[in-house]
Amino acid sequence: MKQKHTLSEIESYVRKAAQATGLGWGLAEEAGKAARWLAAFDLPGVEIMLAHLQQLNGKDYGEYTPARVDDVWHAQGAYLCPLITGAALADRSGQMLTGTEFRLGPVSYPILLAAMIGQAARYHRTIFTTSWAGVSISCYENGISIEGNSDDLLVAEVESVKCLQTKGTRPQSLPSTLACDIDSDAWLAIDKLAFKTYAPATAESRAGAGAGLTDND
Amino acid sequence: MIKASKSEKQTGCAHLNPMPEAAAYRRSPAVVMRLARMGSFHQTRLSFMRSLLRRLKKEQWQFKRPVWEIDHDGYGRAVYTVIGPQRSYSLVAFSHHLDDQMRSDRVIATAWDATFALFDGVPTTADLDRLQDNVPKQEVGRISDSELSLSRANRSVRLWKHVIDNLAAGQQPDRQQLESVGYLVRTTAVYGSGKFGAADRLTISDRAELSGPFQAEMLSVWLTRAFSIDLVEHIAKSIGGTKAVVIDPDLRRRIGVGNSTGLGMAPFLINHPTLLNNWMVAREEAFARVRSLAAASESEVKDFKQHLEKARVKVSEWHSEHPIQIGKLHQLGSDLEKIVSYVETKSLSGNHPWDVFYRWAEQELSMEGQEQLLSLMLEPYGELVDGLTQCMDADEHRSFFIDGSMSIGKILEIIENQYDWAIAVDYQQKENRARFWYTSAEKLEPRVGERFDETGAEYEQPLCIGFFIRQLYEALLESDRDLPIADFLLTNSQHRHTVRRVQTLLSHPYSEVRDNLIAADMLPIDLLRCKLSFFGASKFDPRSDRWVRICMYQDAPFPHELLATAK
Repeated sequence: MKQKHTLSEIESYVRKAAQATGLGWGLAEEAGKAARWLAAFDLPGVEIMLAHLQQLNGKDYGEYTPARVDDVWHAQGAYLCPLITGAALADRSGQMLTGTEFRLGPVSYPILLAAMIGQAARYHRTIFTTSWAGVSISCYENGISIEGNSDDLLVAEVESVKCLQTKGTRPQSLPSTLACDIDSDAWLAIDKLAFKTYAPATAESRAGAGAGLTDND
Repeated sequence: MIKASKSEKQTGCAHLNPMPEAAAYRRSPAVVMRLARMGSFHQTRLSFMRSLLRRLKKEQWQFKRPVWEIDHDGYGRAVYTVIGPQRSYSLVAFSHHLDDQMRSDRVIATAWDATFALFDGVPTTADLDRLQDNVPKQEVGRISDSELSLSRANRSVRLWKHVIDNLAAGQQPDRQQLESVGYLVRTTAVYGSGKFGAADRLTISDRAELSGPFQAEMLSVWLTRAFSIDLVEHIAKSIGGTKAVVIDPDLRRRIGVGNSTGLGMAPFLINHPTLLNNWMVAREEAFARVRSLAAASESEVKDFKQHLEKARVKVSEWHSEHPIQIGKLHQLGSDLEKIVSYVETKSLSGNHPWDVFYRWAEQELSMEGQEQLLSLMLEPYGELVDGLTQCMDADEHRSFFIDGSMSIGKILEIIENQYDWAIAVDYQQKENRARFWYTSAEKLEPRVGERFDETGAEYEQPLCIGFFIRQLYEALLESDRDLPIADFLLTNSQHRHTVRRVQTLLSHPYSEVRDNLIAADMLPIDLLRCKLSFFGASKFDPRSDRWVRICMYQDAPFPHELLATAK
């Protein structure tokens, strides 16, 4: 079953869920924006983000962080986290404007990496293309276009990914939306994670809510 | 009168400052962005309620009330529609029976006297039925992307009964009693932008009439005010029959809409730094433009004096039981008398009269008085400053990006120059980190806790900006200044949030509140007052250090007065 959610809700709940699984505030904010960006083009940003966060939950993030950021980026452990790595790539995205091509892998959920880099493309008002196996995703200020085999779009891991600036005219974008249908179970799971960031109510906390005066005046 | 230049009107905010001479009169962020000052702000011409009503009038919007299905006791539903040149919007109102013991001003309430949604367009009966199943439930209901806001209100029980009893008996309510309360209903939450299924902010961000901050919410509250009057007159007629009268128009104007606001508003200002910056820049630029004027005309001075007189009346009606506000009001009253005396004894015909006036105020008046004077100084200069309201929204995406190529040395330099207030604090001292901000699992409401006395600090939200800055600063001092910040962030991702804020401040100098938001003596009401003054609220009445009641739209025209009636 699916349920309609607004992009604001998606961004806010994914941000909290990412924070609940141990990502810092900054990365969690970026995760929220990446999920929102994918959902805006009716791609399963929430569902894929959930799968990735569940995979990372409770793990040592150091294992998923790039050990090297020259030549071919790779993780200290088995796979690069697309959020941590995507943020590091976005931080260096200026280099792509002067022709640098980044190569990295193995990476989990490369579509999330593409969405993170997409945020940098929007900022630079250019096109950044992320490609792996049989698929390539181009992101620009107000659009996403996808070429290749859609079966490989949502893969859980991939050996090698390439990111570079694409010059020329913008390709045809996928249609965008402001509210999208999300799998109800996935949303419940995100909501459950997000809920972990809320403090249980106590007598003291209730005392601070409102003046505690009558409203019958 | 200096008029806003043509180029400004044509290019909006690309030329925020078509008066280069005004720049010298702008107050610095170090002066403005302090809690004590922000907690002394008053509404201005740029406030969101006022800019909304100016637009509706200028664009000759029309008004109608297509649905009034309210029973003898005042329960049922109604629709209020405003019709603009391109689009219409409708307040859908539901009036409910509520037992007195259920009436609470706290966000944790579960039932209200009235509930509302602002509908995008004109609702059909099917829309109304759908909304009737959901809007009264508020947070536990679900609205759709046809709705732009969700809100609720409770009656001011005392005044409600008094007004109905009098109108039903064929007489006007007591003016003094009516003015001392100032409203018939109090809203306790107005939710917008994507909350509970409502339309995403992007839905309206390219509509001129709603692209400014909180315009949908302000429209909803304005129509709620009209509903509150219609409802008391309807009930009075049910009781009094032919004997009943309606409220005199003059007395009716004195009725606004109350609002009880808690901590929910406070994190917004911290979590939207570019928006905060743009609000502040517009406001400070407006003051600077007026202060930079070489002379004031007779009619401008006359206009100022009229608004000064109105402000004196407002302050005389402004009551609070909170010790802090009682002190501030006393000071404000005395400041207003000093302002009157200044206007009577000193000339406003000299060179740069407004600047001289303000410089005098800096020496002679409290912050309440200084900010009041600045608000009043804008009144004669609509043509000069009103265009700045177009600069008060924000492209938050552009400032979200981290420039990883910036050197660690440059980040350190910004921190040392702009965050001196943060790095000078010793956070080992308990009083400097006595508080923590968190979101309660109950209604997902932001709250403030006492770190050393309460449980829950592990749920702390990132509003302790000063503390974060100090941590970042210490970590960066240990790093190579020549390296790009991207290298630092690769292994220190916990600082990304703070680095983003530091870079934002570089291009948005008014984006940061320059006080310790977790200090023992921090007053959350200062943040609330700042935001509510931008809305256009008046009569701030703190009920505690974290909860305030206000009045909105008092003395403003009603829809049927401002707008033509639609057929």
